[in-house]
Amino acid sequence: MTDHDDLDMLAAEFVLGTLDAHERESVAHRRQHDTELDALIRAWESRLAPLGDEVKAITPGPDLLARIERRIEQMEADTGEARVIRLRKRLRYWQWGTGLATAAALVMAILLVTPFGREAAEPPFVAVFQQNDQQPAFMLTVDLASQRLNVQPVTAEPLPDKSYQLWIKADPLGPDPRSVGVLNDDLSLDPTALSHYDSELLKNATFGISVEPAGGSPTGQPTGPAIHGYLYPTEKEAGQHRL
Amino acid sequence: MSDAFRSSTARDDASSSDSSPTDRLNGLLQRVAFKDREAFAQLYAATSSKLYGTVLCILRHRGWTDDVVQEAYVSIWQKAGQFDAAKASSITWMVTIARNGAIDELRRHPARRVEREDALDDVASVEPTAQARLETEQDARRLYACLDELEKGRRDMVRLAYLDGWSRADLATHFDQPVNTVKTWLHRALKQLKGCLSP
Repeated sequence: MTDHDDLDMLAAEFVLGTLDAHERESVAHRRQHDTELDALIRAWESRLAPLGDEVKAITPGPDLLARIERRIEQMEADTGEARVIRLRKRLRYWQWGTGLATAAALVMAILLVTPFGREAAEPPFVAVFQQNDQQPAFMLTVDLASQRLNVQPVTAEPLPDKSYQLWIKADPLGPDPRSVGVLNDDLSLDPTALSHYDSELLKNATFGISVEPAGGSPTGQPTGPAIHGYLYPTEKEAGQHRL
Repeated sequence: MSDAFRSSTARDDASSSDSSPTDRLNGLLQRVAFKDREAFAQLYAATSSKLYGTVLCILRHRGWTDDVVQEAYVSIWQKAGQFDAAKASSITWMVTIARNGAIDELRRHPARRVEREDALDDVASVEPTAQARLETEQDARRLYACLDELEKGRRDMVRLAYLDGWSRADLATHFDQPVNTVKTWLHRALKQLKGCLSP
């Protein structure tokens, strides 16, 4: 039996469910960085999925949805602060990294701690756009008082014959994302592009940056792969990280 | 990278009648990626009985199933942006999250499960719902044709493991064989299935 066969059987038994707790944990961990194993697992998932059709559908108790929603609300309430803490850890990690990574960290540090207007009634909000949940590709800072924005590439670079486009999505705007604007060739964006949205809406909005054909999406909706970000207040960080 | 920002051509509105159930679920998942609570409630309504049935079949305990299904939907809420329609069907993606949660729980706390002697009959007698059949009819037909080619004992092993969450040890006890023999049989059965399913 070859190594590939062994790996395939490991994937198959993982999907079938016959591995013990320890083996399952190690496979779940390994697949995160072993793309071959991950692909084998996915292949077995779709191969065996029709077996699941045999399962009788059973309606859960009437309270379960409310329970799930409460749990999500709780989690979301914690998230803002948790993200900022994670950001701080990531920042520290970068500072010990290579020269390139350090440069990226500096960009981020400056953005995190530099408010636009010192007199602003509210602290600036920052959104981090991550690729593969590993490193921020862009940062968006929004000063809610003046509704001015600043987009800053962190690890993102201009792509030949492609444009990055910033989108906003918020419940009052309906189910589809709306274009905020196409980033310029130097990856900047008109700072007033958000000025007609009110600050409450901006606070609860989701932002996305997608890769589009040069000049922006031809359809008015994101057509390429996208990365997302949410706005978080920077007030707490500002006190601790003022440069 | 996630595809969640990509707009769907098939409108995901609940009232839309011209989109397939798959398009509708994909559309709902995209909206959930944007933290759309209304879409999440619709997604739950459309899929919870499938996920609940899957987990209950494995854990055979309502309270335990509630906990696992809850965590599955919390994961779906968090990971919706990672769902990639090019790599998996939305319902398979969701069921996989729930099944993995159930099997992880069962392997960690095997004693919590109340054993049921009639699991085999139960599994054998349940017929897929007409709609489920329709969704994946072609894939299902192929898989069942391939399962039919397995020896009966091995076919039962595959189904008991996949549907009821039986471990190698459970199978060894039931089939009165050493665990290593069960492992060998499972591998042969899985390889035979894979060979039969490959184009």
